[in-house]
Amino acid sequence: MTDTIGLVGVILAAGWATTYVWRFVGVYIGQRMAPDSELLMWVRAVATALVSALVVRLLLVPPGMLGHTSLEARVVAMAAGVAGFYLFGRGIGAAVAVAAVSLFLVTWVFGA
Amino acid sequence: MSGTAYDWTALPHGMRAALGVPGIVMAASFIGFGALVRGLEVGLLAGVLSTPLIWALPGQVVFVNMYAEGAGLAAIGLGVTLTAVRLLPMVVLVISKVRVEGGSRLALYALSHFIAVTIWRVAEDGMDHEERPRRLPWLMGAGLALMASMIVMTCAGYVLAQVLTPLLAACLMFLTPSFFFISLFAGAKFTMDYVSIALGAVIGPVVYRFYPELDLIAAGLVGGTLAYVVTRIGRRKP
Repeated sequence: MTDTIGLVGVILAAGWATTYVWRFVGVYIGQRMAPDSELLMWVRAVATALVSALVVRLLLVPPGMLGHTSLEARVVAMAAGVAGFYLFGRGIGAAVAVAAVSLFLVTWVFGA
Repeated sequence: MSGTAYDWTALPHGMRAALGVPGIVMAASFIGFGALVRGLEVGLLAGVLSTPLIWALPGQVVFVNMYAEGAGLAAIGLGVTLTAVRLLPMVVLVISKVRVEGGSRLALYALSHFIAVTIWRVAEDGMDHEERPRRLPWLMGAGLALMASMIVMTCAGYVLAQVLTPLLAACLMFLTPSFFFISLFAGAKFTMDYVSIALGAVIGPVVYRFYPELDLIAAGLVGGTLAYVVTRIGRRKP
């Protein structure tokens, strides 16, 4: 029981608070920005570039089980997903499925 | 949460919207996370609690890894907070889209806890047709539905860890980066958005080589600013 309380304390202090502080700052700033302002356009560009970099890092440095696939397979599968998005009427669900199935097939055919 | 500024009848609509594609994709990631928790032997509780309390997968992965290594409180906190800085621009964008005059600030701070990449994408892709007073409740519903589901999925992954083949697990894990990347294209409205995607993809790996902890922040700030500046001229508001 004390172990459980200790664990909750660790997660609250080192996990929740350290994450929420950035969300808190985000609300503070977000309340003071005019919608459609140029500053917000810049924030949009920053967030977009950041998530794009996150995806590329996951391709180059795959965490956990994703490492059981080759870099080539991951890049081809991601490209197939984006192509699928434009080919299949801009459906996100179908495109994501294309990406995952491509990863499976490429790895299955060519090996990890 | 006081006041009549928000239209809370939108809450169940948001719940339903979240349990489509974003929910399925997220479920795959959290099954993967549950399997990771099993592998690290930190106990199911640490993994399950990190889902509603941290609610951002990269931070959760850092947390359970460092906790498993027996790292100190300050070290874990620093590792997690470095992964969480990236949430700041997303929160700013979502808040500016949902806030209404005279609306409760407490509701904004409560909503912010749900905001991570997926909720930002859900807001960008599916919320624009909602009237402004309905947006915060709509997104809160989406967040609540996803969070409740992902607590279950974390447990499911913990249990499924031994059943999944490595290739199948890899394909499940691949759904999340695919969803993030494809939804960037789906939400792109300006030339700037495409330039941001390209520059982030190029700058990230270069910075990662030298400063692996700062790659995302640097790629976001440098790539985003460049994209903003080079497309500034000639861009018109829609």
